[in-house]
Amino acid sequence: MPHALRIAGRCALALSLVILFISCRPSSEVASDKVVRVNLGTEPPSLDWSVATDHVSFNVIANLMVGLTEFDRDLKPGPVIARSWDVLEGGKRIVFHLRDDVLWSDGKKVRAQDFEYSWKRLLHPKTASEYAYILFDIVNAEAFHRGKIDDHRLLGVTAKDDRTLEVRLRHPASYFLSITTFEVTYPQRQDIIERYGAKWTEPENIVTNGPFLLASWKHEDEIQLRANPRFFLGRPAIERVDMYMINEKTTALALYEQGRLDFLDNHSIPIFEKPRLVKHEGFRSVPQLRGYYYGFVTDRKPFDDARVRKAFALAIDRTVFPKILHGGEEPATSWIPPGMLAHNVEIGVRYNPAEARRLLREAGYPDGKGFPQVTLGYNTDEDHKIVAEAIQGMWKQNLGVLVRLENQEWKVYLSKLQSDPPHIFRLGWGADFPDPDNFMRLFTSLSGNNNTRWKNRRFDELVDLAAREWNTQKRVQLYNEAQKILCETDLPIIPLFTTAESTLLRPRFAGLEYNSMSRLVLRDVRLKNSQ
Amino acid sequence: MSRQNEAEEQRRQRGQRALLLLSLAFIAAVTLCGFLAPLLSPYSPAGLQEGRILEGPSWSHWLGTDGLGRDLFTRILYGARVSLTVGIGTALIALIIGSLYGLISGYSGGPLDSLLMRIVDVVYSLPDLLIFILLSLLLGRNIAGVLLALGLVSWVRFARIARGQVLQAKEFVYVEGARAIGASHLRIIMRHILPNIAGPILVTLTFSIPAAILAESTLSFIGLGINDPYSEWGTSWGTLAQDGWRAMRTYPHIILFPGLAIFFTILSFNYLGNGLRDILDPKGK
Repeated sequence: MPHALRIAGRCALALSLVILFISCRPSSEVASDKVVRVNLGTEPPSLDWSVATDHVSFNVIANLMVGLTEFDRDLKPGPVIARSWDVLEGGKRIVFHLRDDVLWSDGKKVRAQDFEYSWKRLLHPKTASEYAYILFDIVNAEAFHRGKIDDHRLLGVTAKDDRTLEVRLRHPASYFLSITTFEVTYPQRQDIIERYGAKWTEPENIVTNGPFLLASWKHEDEIQLRANPRFFLGRPAIERVDMYMINEKTTALALYEQGRLDFLDNHSIPIFEKPRLVKHEGFRSVPQLRGYYYGFVTDRKPFDDARVRKAFALAIDRTVFPKILHGGEEPATSWIPPGMLAHNVEIGVRYNPAEARRLLREAGYPDGKGFPQVTLGYNTDEDHKIVAEAIQGMWKQNLGVLVRLENQEWKVYLSKLQSDPPHIFRLGWGADFPDPDNFMRLFTSLSGNNNTRWKNRRFDELVDLAAREWNTQKRVQLYNEAQKILCETDLPIIPLFTTAESTLLRPRFAGLEYNSMSRLVLRDVRLKNSQ
Repeated sequence: MSRQNEAEEQRRQRGQRALLLLSLAFIAAVTLCGFLAPLLSPYSPAGLQEGRILEGPSWSHWLGTDGLGRDLFTRILYGARVSLTVGIGTALIALIIGSLYGLISGYSGGPLDSLLMRIVDVVYSLPDLLIFILLSLLLGRNIAGVLLALGLVSWVRFARIARGQVLQAKEFVYVEGARAIGASHLRIIMRHILPNIAGPILVTLTFSIPAAILAESTLSFIGLGINDPYSEWGTSWGTLAQDGWRAMRTYPHIILFPGLAIFFTILSFNYLGNGLRDILDPKGK
């Protein structure tokens, strides 16, 4: 009976897929005491910190390397390789004084020249780094990146000697120190990169200076880090970190519960399991500097009308999100996230269905009548789907407008946002460095990541003024005004909530936490009984 | 045949008939419930109830609620429309394309037959799931797109069966007789061949429906199925199951009930097919 056979065949296929899922697990060796096993979720696209753009890559790099500064608990940049720094000429010149005792993994000392080389490499047009713009405040950086200047000696970054790095800026940039906490500004070894080319990040070639060394990298499978005995802040308490690449949340959770993984994060915990896992001893929820928003494409009907955009924003009840996502999300009406300078809960529009209906009527669509067919896009993911369906329901109920949902895989979705964006799109933004400039500059006219096509000269001006202002109070005022344009009058976006990272750590360990910038910091992990 | 064997055979037949009737009744009930869903359930398939998220079965929500507090029973009722429409619609599309194709191929014979059958061989050898995925991406993720995508893949089975039956029927004496007295091709096909091959094709049709339901569920499960909770059509069972599988360990009801709906419906269609074959095509047993 061929039909029955085919059905049986399909069942067999499904079964074998399940078995395949289950068998895609880390090798079943017994964990030694001082090994922490974490799940990265996917293969890091690049371990070259001039090229990497995603948090999976940065989560590995952040444990291999240290830079000039890192931020403390209050998100202020504190010294690491830089012993101290002088801010001169009203903030236009910054001189970093480097420590003398930081070693590369091959025994050489970390020098100011390594920073100069790395920053110039980041800016070089050939590197084609997506993060080159982060250093555009440096004199001639933008022209160099665009190929208008060939001579790298004209750039405003110079190693005066082995221990002194001088940075000259086009204008005072109050957030520049924060930028030096970001992985893309970490030093690099010219000799290594020139010798090995694109293969310099392979474990047999790479030279690093951080708490861990890259011991092995089985692509699409596993990365192993080994404690760096020569790390200048002291050897980490654990010997080894195994980083797996299991992209199925359910599988990762099952592995944790079988004792084959020691640490899970949002990429490894299915949302519906969170209410159960909250009760576990090792569960933490860490608020992130990461905003989740819906953007409108503002140069097309019907969202070229600010009243329509505001009506859609007023019709969303944000209190629902923590209830359906179960992960400690914080509803947000304004854009700069809590924990960052100039965060202001007062700004933004709140749930008001009556006012929403009034505005929609005023814009010519009473009770949603005559409203054109619009599409809400998101990248395929269960969290985004559940949020989209909830909001679709609120708009239907409060405005009488039924939006269509459409989802694509992340890469397809990103390219679609450029070529043929849906009327409303979902995106998130995580802080690269903990300064409001990083969040607000996103929606300026020149930002490559501003998918709303919204341009507001006053907003651009305010963001620029705030960037040059060293007085904190004045900066906050400028950002308040800019946020009011963004979240109250013009509303090219609807901020929805700031996310939290849920993590689960096997209770025999302590000290492993995400920081608020979504970085996995393994340096301080230790066994609980060996304090 | 001994009397004992006869009695056993009768019992067996009675049992089969009961199963057939039960299956028919189940299919009728599911169809009816699906299309009368708005009358049967006080809830909307899309109604968000933030206070009742992820509840287990209770008096007010017979099958519990999902991650947005939507009533699962209501969603399954609405889902029945999608899954049954996809099942029956796909099978019909396949039936029309496949039977015509097989009829032409078998009746014409010769090199045309060989050519047409080689094409069928090629289509048959393509991996179904891959073609579903490609076509459903091309045709869009709505009910029409999925119907067409599945229909365009599953017609080959009908083509083969129809051709085989036509080849047999062509050789029957009465067809030869009809040809001898000068009946037209159309008349021969319509009056003499079609009635003779209808039985096996109908049986194939009954087996195609559950296969299509399963295929749509598979598509939904990998995230390419029908999901439009606010349209009249709603969300298919496969998508409901997909929603639930990550919650399987803590909230098993979200995947269990849609899964059971798929399971019993497919089982019923298979029993129905078996029963029909016994009646219409006793030789093919």
